[in-house]
Amino acid sequence: MFEELSLHILDIAMNSIAAKARTVQIMVAEHARRDQLTIRIQDNGRGMDAATLKRVLANLTTTKSSRKKNLGLGLALLRQTAEMCDGKFEVRSTPRLGTAVTAAMRLSHVDRPPLGDLNATILALCAANPAVDVQLHYLTDTEHFHFSSKEPTGKKVASRTERNWRGEEKMNYEPGRAQKVESESAAAGCLA
Amino acid sequence: MNLEELKKLKAKAQRQVALREGNKKYRVVVSMGTSGIAAGAREVMKTMLDEIEKRGLEDVEVRVTGEVGLEDVEPVVRVEETGGEKTTYARLDTEKARKIVAEHLEKGKKVDNLAVGKEKKPE
Repeated sequence: MFEELSLHILDIAMNSIAAKARTVQIMVAEHARRDQLTIRIQDNGRGMDAATLKRVLANLTTTKSSRKKNLGLGLALLRQTAEMCDGKFEVRSTPRLGTAVTAAMRLSHVDRPPLGDLNATILALCAANPAVDVQLHYLTDTEHFHFSSKEPTGKKVASRTERNWRGEEKMNYEPGRAQKVESESAAAGCLA
Repeated sequence: MNLEELKKLKAKAQRQVALREGNKKYRVVVSMGTSGIAAGAREVMKTMLDEIEKRGLEDVEVRVTGEVGLEDVEPVVRVEETGGEKTTYARLDTEKARKIVAEHLEKGKKVDNLAVGKEKKPE
């Protein structure tokens, strides 16, 4: 069991690099108002067909030939973490086009692991294959940060309001509105 | 995560790129599969990077790989030398990682009590 979500991200993204991805996009969306934390790791690697994907998700299998027992735990561990935190887990994959792994969880859930050292995760991924473009999109209610290892220009992409979401009490937080947002997001599904 | 942290990350990534260029005397390969990560390989890698930087060692590059088949003794780090000699260190923590940087990578002395398996001599 990983103690940090950033370790899960590292683990899943290492799969992307093993699958010969040229770009690995990591999205972390921390929505305090919706009480939702979503992590998505998307790559343009070799992808999996439906049968392989089913096998990987069902039996803790790996496709890595280097492993004698063909046992893989990475996706199962992330699914366990997401489901433990009232969340959802989804893998979509298309052969030759790539794979996207999404895990959503309740931000305030008592069992939700901290995000942890995301910087160390990105550094490790850059060291895994310097030719791969590792991108990080970090979103909160009000901010959007973007980082790319190919073009290391850490920049603030957009600010949706003047306030940081951490100043939550300062916001005009209407319980009724929050509920509406919640039901909307529930209707749209965690993984929309 | 804020802008300041991203700037630091950028600077660090650029230094990493610089470390990767050219032929180095030592290549450090950290096993970063699921079991390695769970055992603390990322922290070991980070410590080694920091220590290499602190000591100003320029003839070392640090790389990351997937599972190496030594799941029971993770975290595992392999030090490869230009001559082809390889040393595998196992059951590491941050303190042992610092020691490997100080002894093997700086002074060129292998840390025998942390090494596992037969050393592979160039043929």
